[in-house]
Amino acid sequence: MTTDWISLPLVALPLVSSIAILAFVAYASPAARERMGPSVRMATLIFSLLMLALTTAMFFGIEFIGGTSDWASLSFGSFNYEFRYVWIESLGIHWSVGMDALSFPMVWLTTFLLPVTIVATWNEKNAAVYFPLVLMMGGALIGVFVALDLFMFYVFWELTLIPMFFLILKWGGYDRKYASQKFFIYTFAASVIMLLGLVTVYFLQPEDLSYAGAWTGRTFDIPTLTAHAQVANANGAWFLGESLQKILFVMLMIGFLVKLPSVPFHTWLPDAHVQAPTGGSMLLAGVMLKMGAYGMFRLPLAFFPHAAEHFQFWLLALGMVSLVWGAIVCLGQTNLKKMVAYSSVSHMGVILIGIATMQPLGWAAALFMMFAHGIISPMLFAVCGAFKHHYHSMEIGAMRGMAKHSPWLATSMMFGWMASLGLPLLAGFVAELMMFLALWHFIAAEGWSVLWMVGPALVLALTAAYYLWSMQRTIFEGGEETQPPESLKGQPVPDISDAEKLAMVIMAAFTILFGVMPWIALDMMNGWTVAFFETLLIPILTGGA
Amino acid sequence: MAGSGSSEIVNSTAAQYAPYILLLPMLAFPVILFLGKMFNGNKVWKETLKEGGLIALAFMGASLGLSLWLVSDFIGAYGGVQKLSDWTWFTSSMWSSGVVTTEITFGFGVHIDHITVMLLFIASFLCLLINTFAIGYMNTDPINDNRNHRFYAEFVLFCSGMLGMVLADSFLWLFIFWELMGLCSYLLIGFYYERPSAAYAAKKAFLTTRVGDVFLMVGLAVLWDLFGSLDYAVVFNEYNIEKVAASNPGSLAWALGLMFIGAVGKSAQFPLHVWLPDAMEGPTPVSALIHAATMVNAGLYLVARMFHFFGAESMHGELADLAFIIAAIGGTTAVMAAAIAFVQQDLKKVLAYSTMSQLAYIFTGLGAALYLANTLHWHEYLGDGTKNPDYYANHAIVIVAFGAALFHLFNHAMAKGMLFMASGAVIHEVHHAHHHLHPHDDHHDEEPKELLMLANYLAETGQSVFGFFNAIDLDQSGEVDTYEFQKALKEANIADLPPWEMGPLMKALDMDGNGRINVPELELTLGRVHLASLGGHDDHHDEFDAQSMENMGGLASKMPLTATAMLVGSLSIMGFPLIGGFWSKEGIIANTWRVALEDPRFFYPAMCVLLGAGMTGFYMSRMWLKTFAGSPKTDVAAHVHPTNTWIKTPLFILTFFSLAGILFASMGFTHWAPDREYGLMSDHGGLWGGFLYEMEHVFANEKMFFFILTYVALFIGAVVGPGLALSLYGGKLDDGEEVLPWFGPVLAVNQYVKSRYHWDNSSFGQSGFATALENRLYFDHYYDLAMLKIVAAFSFKAAETDSSVIDGTVKMIERTSQQISTKLRSLTTGSARDYILMAALGTLGLFALIWGVVA
Repeated sequence: MTTDWISLPLVALPLVSSIAILAFVAYASPAARERMGPSVRMATLIFSLLMLALTTAMFFGIEFIGGTSDWASLSFGSFNYEFRYVWIESLGIHWSVGMDALSFPMVWLTTFLLPVTIVATWNEKNAAVYFPLVLMMGGALIGVFVALDLFMFYVFWELTLIPMFFLILKWGGYDRKYASQKFFIYTFAASVIMLLGLVTVYFLQPEDLSYAGAWTGRTFDIPTLTAHAQVANANGAWFLGESLQKILFVMLMIGFLVKLPSVPFHTWLPDAHVQAPTGGSMLLAGVMLKMGAYGMFRLPLAFFPHAAEHFQFWLLALGMVSLVWGAIVCLGQTNLKKMVAYSSVSHMGVILIGIATMQPLGWAAALFMMFAHGIISPMLFAVCGAFKHHYHSMEIGAMRGMAKHSPWLATSMMFGWMASLGLPLLAGFVAELMMFLALWHFIAAEGWSVLWMVGPALVLALTAAYYLWSMQRTIFEGGEETQPPESLKGQPVPDISDAEKLAMVIMAAFTILFGVMPWIALDMMNGWTVAFFETLLIPILTGGA
Repeated sequence: MAGSGSSEIVNSTAAQYAPYILLLPMLAFPVILFLGKMFNGNKVWKETLKEGGLIALAFMGASLGLSLWLVSDFIGAYGGVQKLSDWTWFTSSMWSSGVVTTEITFGFGVHIDHITVMLLFIASFLCLLINTFAIGYMNTDPINDNRNHRFYAEFVLFCSGMLGMVLADSFLWLFIFWELMGLCSYLLIGFYYERPSAAYAAKKAFLTTRVGDVFLMVGLAVLWDLFGSLDYAVVFNEYNIEKVAASNPGSLAWALGLMFIGAVGKSAQFPLHVWLPDAMEGPTPVSALIHAATMVNAGLYLVARMFHFFGAESMHGELADLAFIIAAIGGTTAVMAAAIAFVQQDLKKVLAYSTMSQLAYIFTGLGAALYLANTLHWHEYLGDGTKNPDYYANHAIVIVAFGAALFHLFNHAMAKGMLFMASGAVIHEVHHAHHHLHPHDDHHDEEPKELLMLANYLAETGQSVFGFFNAIDLDQSGEVDTYEFQKALKEANIADLPPWEMGPLMKALDMDGNGRINVPELELTLGRVHLASLGGHDDHHDEFDAQSMENMGGLASKMPLTATAMLVGSLSIMGFPLIGGFWSKEGIIANTWRVALEDPRFFYPAMCVLLGAGMTGFYMSRMWLKTFAGSPKTDVAAHVHPTNTWIKTPLFILTFFSLAGILFASMGFTHWAPDREYGLMSDHGGLWGGFLYEMEHVFANEKMFFFILTYVALFIGAVVGPGLALSLYGGKLDDGEEVLPWFGPVLAVNQYVKSRYHWDNSSFGQSGFATALENRLYFDHYYDLAMLKIVAAFSFKAAETDSSVIDGTVKMIERTSQQISTKLRSLTTGSARDYILMAALGTLGLFALIWGVVA
């Protein structure tokens, strides 16, 4: 039985169904909308669980679904569950989807986070609209990861902005209007530059390709373009010429660097996070940021390896700056959620450094960081959300002695914080370790001074400093009879709800799982990076062969 | 040939089960936590299972059983390197010269050699005893009710971290378990989370050791890059070391040096020692665990693990400088910590500084041993394959030097574990007596300190001191008007106080009374006040300090077993002849001097350890005398009762272990190195032969220099130091108090010396040096200040820059584009004439453009 179409419903069904629900809800009266809330919520939960079951089955390669479960040995350029359908023939646009070991972990992560987010924000108001939006977000994100067509990729890339925009605008904090607009315009402006680059690639490609459109003789097909770029890049030649390749590389990278985000393009992130509702933050930090890193691997690094090598130093510098600056700014925050948001900036620096090392080890570190951070950071934001929910404040120090009042929340917070600061046997450590080794190997091979390690080393200490500092003022202290904060106006402090507990336990469990047994995800990532290097990069990095 | 024989590998069945030694406690962690959560407050859980204490005990017992089985298999074994149950953690790849060749594998396995055996026994044995003690200590204190399960869960995880670190077969997994211990120490030091001092101490411990860990991690990265692996099997391979030594010996030295900084942090050596005394905020069993069984030994273990690099024939002489640094850091810490211990009044703090000082001895000993291993040709064959003529002499020197350090680790662990448990028993009973006598003495003594108030206000509102003052001091002049300051306080909702409260506050802030507040000065003062409130002791809340020796005295008759244990432990630490620490301490001093004769740099650590012996004698005697001799200094001390069985049992066992130092020395504990050329504990003709050999070696050394040195050290450590203490402290017990027979001579000597040689030390007590010692030589003060004034201040500035400069640029672009679009909008006039004009201009422009392109 051929089930190559299976990734199609993974994208289309959540989008279609959520839009249908939203359309239906839009015509309901406010009272009816309120009544529909619980059933809509349950429906989205069941739907997302089915999606998770499907992707998990794909991982194990359940026979019924077909495809191969041996993700690690997919050869470069071949995809699992690959499916093509001509969409706009004249322009060479296809509805073309498929997954390899680069995209599959991200897809799985998205389907994992959807039910977790739904559970963690179980009591969100205006449920009949909120939960379909979350589902829609998931569909759009998966669309980005499975798209094998530039056009589709871009459509989904921008589509993700819409549900997120509304999530921030409608469920956000006091300054949500500004934050949502800033988020939208900032990332959109960067995407337009990226779009210009993509269109240029489209028009300048040679015309004798398969999947080409009838009018233009050109294609949007990513694997085809990659294959062609590979041929054109061989023997020391540069695909599209040296100067143009550099310009295009930069244009594409701008779109991705803003999304990642890297310093100095990061300032939309703290605003968006602080104002976004918990669910929005979880998906934003968990998956949406990784779109940036994913895009880098899929497009500029694959199309323009010469330029990547040329800009290697700048990638490293950007990564270092993000890493260090993010951590320093974290230490200066008094707002809990803002601190966590900046810690994301710092961690995304690890991804850039990993890429800049131009070693499979560093790339695998980047891929694993994407994955690990995708599990850990939603937990951090879930904790922040619960904190805000309980204590009506995000200020560090507004509530002390949390361990007494809300032991579950305190435990979750400590776990999340420890995972994020890279405690061994939790998922984040593996990525940091690999990055550290790859970076030192790179520095030593270049003959640079050990002083280059000062930045990353400093960050290890700083990260511990800001996390511990914030825990000292929230979980600990408070005296023998801890007083609830004044913002509660004398009401007793409840611990987090059962739904929140469940979500925290699930995230914690998977953080441990991937920390103790990283190979589950790392094997396929390693396979992918090795294939990528052997096929595309090594001929170029060794100066043409 | 050295290192050649895989045939020397011990064939041990027990080794197959070695992973369970660490897995069992690790498994107990979720079990206890889960059951505790389920049955918290339940009667059976509380009284029969001791809130998880007995479950922990069962797991730790099983773990110890397996360890003993394993250790027994390795007695008499050569080398005994094993790599078992290799478990691949993950693999990745590297490419070089055109191909993805290098498969990098990170896995976990078990590695057992002589060092492992020693540490494994210490860790598992002491963990079990401390667990026993904890049942008697934690479960009888009402303050711990219903949260002891958390204690036991974290306790077993801690033990599992240590056991894992010892058993791991690669530096990577050593580091992983090392960090796991860091986490557990954080959790356990902060066990009383509601106390600000505990929260502060926990953070301090984690952060200080983290600073060391960062260096360790960089060191591991360097090491990994040199060898392409972190597995012991690879990095200790003589052939691989030879390759690295040929190409890059300097890098290897750097790697080891960086790793050593990690050990400095973990083992609380100068200058990363500040966390250890504060770690006393945890419950006493935790102190015992950290100081004796686990955490601080980790650093020593790491340095001991480096032996193979120093001992490799191919690295001959390359690492001598590093060995000197290790010894010098040790020597410095030994004297510094001992000096600080002179003036401590807190019983546990004396012990904390004593730990620091004794660990420093071990570091010095390791430094000397590593120096010898690195500079002597001590292998059977030389680098060029010829037979080594000095093999026997040099080999003996190296393993004896290394053995002295490891044996001191053993003796110190046994004695210090006992001392902490005994001090815990004392504190426990003093505390109980106090509660019994003064049940209502818990009233809070609020200090009417306006400054503290302000600091608390700022902290409560989440305001940083710096951010707040920077916000007010707009012109950055460094001075603010008191009126402005009041206004800002109100506006920022920090302190909206009525005038009768605001007045005194302003008065306190305006230190020179000119109506203007000096901002930098105030920041400094506030920071200090705030830190003092964080780091300060419970004495704010509870006037009576159950840990202060000023409140004790004369306990020898009240708590005989505890006093005996303390006495034996103290004597062992002091190096009193024939018991415990004596054998190892003499060895360390002798070997450091042996090196000093070769290399004059080593005179520094050598003098330090010699001097330190006397200092140890003084502060340990002082501690014992102040606590147990003399008449009770408070009515509380007069009403102390003996302690319970759970507490007594481990004390009893460890007293035996400390007394039996000669037994262990005779068994060959003084010869200990991870060396394949001799069998563990099999050297000199059985127990009796060993006894004769040790006695002769120590007391009648054939070399004149060492013969004299022994007696000089003995004189300083066992006569001068204790003598001074005897003349100053202690005294006769109250009349009618009966003591165990062995206290008689001690008290008699004390009385005799005190009455005869009593001298006035008050001038020293008031000197600046004593004040500096009381303030721990201001290290903590300046570290905190640096944290506050440099790191925190810079990060607040950075956060500000991030929003004003980086985000400011974005906002400026946004504003400009908005302005432009407003301007552009004004072009949309609605008048047809304007549009025609614009269209015409546009067409012209287009033409011009095309013209330019075509032509």
